[in-house]
Amino acid sequence: MTSPYATILAGLIRHRGVKGCLVVGETDGLLVDSTLQFGVNGQIFAALTASLFRKARRASQAAGLGDAAFVQLEAENGRVCAVGRGELVLVVVAEPRVNLGLVRVDMLKAVEALA
Amino acid sequence: MKLQVAADWVEQPLKAFVDDARAEIAVLMHPSGQVLGQFGFARSVDVQTACALSAAIYASAGELGRQMQGKPFTVMHYAGKARQMFLAPVPIDGGTLLLLAVFGEESTLGLVQVYFQDFQRAAAQAAPHWTGAETALASDFEVELNRNLAAMFGRT
Amino acid sequence: MMGPDDIRVLSDALAADPGSLVFLQLGEALRRQGQLDLAWRVAMRGAERHPQRPDAHDLLARVAADRGDLDRARSAWESALALSPGHPAAQKGLGFLFFQQGLRADAERLLAAAQAADPADASLGAALAKIRAIGADPADADDAAQVRPMAPTPPRASVAIAPPSAQPRTTQAIAAPAPFAPAPADPRDVFAGVLPDETHAALFLDADGLVVAGRYKAADGRDVSADIGAQLSGVSDEASRAMRHLGLGAWTHLAVEAEQASVAMAPVGDGVVLVAAPRRVPLGFVRRMLDRAAERVKRWVESGT
Repeated sequence: MTSPYATILAGLIRHRGVKGCLVVGETDGLLVDSTLQFGVNGQIFAALTASLFRKARRASQAAGLGDAAFVQLEAENGRVCAVGRGELVLVVVAEPRVNLGLVRVDMLKAVEALA
Repeated sequence: MKLQVAADWVEQPLKAFVDDARAEIAVLMHPSGQVLGQFGFARSVDVQTACALSAAIYASAGELGRQMQGKPFTVMHYAGKARQMFLAPVPIDGGTLLLLAVFGEESTLGLVQVYFQDFQRAAAQAAPHWTGAETALASDFEVELNRNLAAMFGRT
Repeated sequence: MMGPDDIRVLSDALAADPGSLVFLQLGEALRRQGQLDLAWRVAMRGAERHPQRPDAHDLLARVAADRGDLDRARSAWESALALSPGHPAAQKGLGFLFFQQGLRADAERLLAAAQAADPADASLGAALAKIRAIGADPADADDAAQVRPMAPTPPRASVAIAPPSAQPRTTQAIAAPAPFAPAPADPRDVFAGVLPDETHAALFLDADGLVVAGRYKAADGRDVSADIGAQLSGVSDEASRAMRHLGLGAWTHLAVEAEQASVAMAPVGDGVVLVAAPRRVPLGFVRRMLDRAAERVKRWVESGT
């Protein structure tokens, strides 16, 4: 059976440097669907990035800045981007060399199809 | 809140689990109800009750699973509005222990599952061969439980 | 940062055992959430029950300082130090209080003692450097001698970035390297010259989410630095936790695009530097500001060690 998110994920994984795309439940941190390169642990990324996104969203609201729309985290060996809609979070895991601007734009478009 | 353990090897894995998974309550016990470590309870009577109920739930769910699907249900999760409960087996050399975790909005089921896997690995490495109460009589369970609780809460 | 559930758990624990020391955690959690009246009641009751505990007096002092009751804060920290002369938190708190009140020698003595106990605390090094710099410059000493009350933690409220008072500078304008200004007399001015205008804000937070330098003003002009810092430092904690398990190495930048503002953070030492800009500002521009703010903080801290 094809997941309703397969098209979204397929579009994002095509970007050079993207190692994985995940759709995750924001409140439970559980993996809903994913397209992952070998070596990316979907369950761990799902749980931790959903938690990070949730924390950012809550902190942003509590600080009076409104809802968090897009979160990106850069680390020495990779990047993680998350965008939410409803109860779902769309997550992209990428190498440092990824074109972040392009991925961000595509994620913001793709998230419209979530929910 | 302070972590309290009846066996030294429990401290590090349980502390890591509580910190990483942001559990509000965590109790490691033998399926008989004998407690090995706990975080989040202020009174020994509460731990005693939680252990007894968890052991009963685990036994009941196991039997229900056997009836329904021919094999026991092992991992249990209940999602309340403000708090959630997670109860799952921790295999160690010579037996199986149970971990009860209660968590709130600071955590998620996904996080608890991830860190529970870490806990399982750490416990399996750290635990000595279990020679506990598997063969003991019910009355011994009670004595053992009370002894451990007394040790943890400093009331020996 | 603790959430409502944590506070409820602590509150239940204290109700179940009013003589327990849970009041220390509960009082501090309430203080950080800006529930100062509740925090005050918890701290008062705790200090009454445990008058021999320096931690109880330290908590009382922190809450009093946040409430703007500096006399009470000073008295409580002095009580903590009378009970435990080397109590680092009380030394730090009273040291900062003396500094704010222009009592430079007393501040230096206490902060130096606190730094000896915790050499890794960047805020202490920076504060000491500033005190010593003021001491070397008589003109600044006059300025420092003015009594400046500690800014109390503002009540939780909706916060929006102040409306632009002038046209923002262009990217080219801010991209030009800004010379590092001499250590400002007020840590809130550390980022002067880094930000294009008052619609932008920058903060340097310590590992506990407390503001070390910089300021964040709400649309109505209130200083909401403490509130914003406490809330957003939790996000960096979450990032650190995620990085421990994702195998991506240490995190270097974190950006949150929210409805009212874009916020970018980066770790500096044990703390975090944070900049905020209106949503209309491109993310790349925010990122440049962040890099510059981080560089400014590093040099500011280094100048004090």
